[in-house]
Amino acid sequence: MNPLLIALLAVLLGPLFVGTWRTSLWGLSMQGLLMAWLALRLGPHPSTPSAWLTLIDLALLRGVAAPTALYQVLRARNVPARHDAIPPNLLSWTLALGSVLVAFNFAQVLVPAPAMEQSIVSVAATGLMLGFLVLATQSATFGQMIAVLRIENAIALFELSGEGHAQSVAIQVGQMLVVAASIVLYRWYLNTVDDPDAPLGDDASEVAL
Amino acid sequence: MSILVLVLMPAVLSACLLVRSVRVHATQLLVAVAGIVSVLAVSEAVHADSPRMLDGFVRVDATSRLFLAVVDPIFFGVCLYVWNRVATAPVLQAGMTRFVALALWFLSAVNAVLVANHLLVAWIALETTTLAAAPLIVRPRMRASRQASWRYLLFSSVGLGLALLGFMCIARGTQPDPAAPSFFVDGALPLAAAAPNLWHRLGLALLLLGLGTKLGLAPMYSWLPEAYDEAPPAVTALLAAVQFNCALVVLLRVLQCYRSNEPKLVAAELVAMGIVSMLVSTFSLIATRNLKRLLAYASINHAGVIAIGLGIGKTASYGLLLYVLSNAFIKAVLFLTAGKIKAHYRTKDTRRISGLIKDLPYSGVFLMVGSFALLGFPPFGSFFGEVLILSALVSSGRMLVFALFCLLITMSFVATGRTIFPMIWGEAEEQHSWPRQTFLSASPKIAFLVALVVLGLYVPPVVGDLIRQVAVSVEGR
Repeated sequence: MNPLLIALLAVLLGPLFVGTWRTSLWGLSMQGLLMAWLALRLGPHPSTPSAWLTLIDLALLRGVAAPTALYQVLRARNVPARHDAIPPNLLSWTLALGSVLVAFNFAQVLVPAPAMEQSIVSVAATGLMLGFLVLATQSATFGQMIAVLRIENAIALFELSGEGHAQSVAIQVGQMLVVAASIVLYRWYLNTVDDPDAPLGDDASEVAL
Repeated sequence: MSILVLVLMPAVLSACLLVRSVRVHATQLLVAVAGIVSVLAVSEAVHADSPRMLDGFVRVDATSRLFLAVVDPIFFGVCLYVWNRVATAPVLQAGMTRFVALALWFLSAVNAVLVANHLLVAWIALETTTLAAAPLIVRPRMRASRQASWRYLLFSSVGLGLALLGFMCIARGTQPDPAAPSFFVDGALPLAAAAPNLWHRLGLALLLLGLGTKLGLAPMYSWLPEAYDEAPPAVTALLAAVQFNCALVVLLRVLQCYRSNEPKLVAAELVAMGIVSMLVSTFSLIATRNLKRLLAYASINHAGVIAIGLGIGKTASYGLLLYVLSNAFIKAVLFLTAGKIKAHYRTKDTRRISGLIKDLPYSGVFLMVGSFALLGFPPFGSFFGEVLILSALVSSGRMLVFALFCLLITMSFVATGRTIFPMIWGEAEEQHSWPRQTFLSASPKIAFLVALVVLGLYVPPVVGDLIRQVAVSVEGR
């Protein structure tokens, strides 16, 4: 397997075993940056607008903007360092490692020929499975955001593996704008959903549209 | 040209809200834009299909024309309701700039979904409707509404992410073909024509799961009751009557593209999702005592009926579309009425509301007629739609599904009726004095009711032709 994909697998798994929110954000950031590197290695020299847009999406939006936006909110609120992406017990860890095995076996069924494509689909499927595992075990807003961003990164990695399936620039721009708007909204929700200082109203007397 | 106006005008005018002098008239701007867009959308219904525009990404066909003519007038009706609410409760004026800006973006994205001739463009527009609608669910001082709004965004993001993954799998499955992949609605390669493979099956399964999440189908439906309950009534009406139909149009497009040669593709999956959705919603209908949640569970029930209709295809298609159109008006009437009732009684608990027909005559009548339509009484379109779907179930020989359908629809009928009818005709427990409701304030709901009755008694030839054309495309001929 390509060393980049091994590194990507490591940043998918690592934050599950180190229980701090900084590690979760670091993992997200590394996923974006490694995927951008992989896109550079897989594709032709980035001379087309489409290739540049892919790099901006992966490196800037997913690798830098999303983790930074969430980091700023948590830092400003002085949130305690401890945050477990999955419950720290043997069952969760077994489920996580089991998910990796299932994902790799599933990828072998989908792409029987052992090649680069199979490896990427394996890691993308792993990212998806682990994203759903994190989502299933989280009740806090931040943890759920991390899970959704993991799932979206896995989908982006899967998209990288599709040879010859070049999207038009307009669609790529549209998808990037959706990701950017989602990040802005996630930041806003992280600020407001769990805010203990927010004023509380009475549903019965609330005047609504 | 008018098609581009439908999409661009609301988005451009929402940017005008940056100007202070425009912000003062935000509500009037919303009503004016919604009115103009509504007239343009209805006028599109009588035109022929438009040629491709913008490199083929935009094209108006029968599906676009039918849903534009329904969804945009409903949006306009909701805007009139909002205008009236702001006029009668000036405290609401404070948050109107934000509401109007997001609502205009929402309208723009809704129209983009309906006129998109490319599945990925439709996906982007549907995601945009979600991003615009999520903050609208939030009521500033209600923590529960913030949580509901986040859950809505969370489920939508995951669901639409799965749908995107589904598109990619389908693209992967058709890669060896030099003519593929194409996500253009009028140029997509039917999956049955290409060699069916694991990627196609996986792609369609993910698409169903993802779009099913937006429609509130089981298993990913749990966001819906919470979001519909916590959102302001006008926003709930937009989600239930407008956005629901956008998600449905994307699903119709997918089926239109990929099962034109194989009508039974994903039929069993759709029927299974429909039955499970009806099952969970029926038991929730029995348990709930919250008016808005009751209507939300009824929406899940209806989504189940629609999924079953889509699964049967063929002869059910006309009935299915009649049911879908009726449902859009039913939900708009009922959620707006629920808002009015809650504003007066200051509760959503159905046990504390009774004697509506005397207390709030307009709302009482709306709730009564809307409930009859909701429960599938004649002469409403929902009745004829259900009958046609049931007859298609019998003619296709799915007797077990037919039996389950009848059982669940009867149970939900009893559960809804025993909760709503005492609210309408029961003895008023407390004497309230209300400010008199004006005809103007009730006019949007009256218009929706008229549309409902018309769909049941006499479908105008233009609408009937459109429904038939869309039915043919859903049938995959």
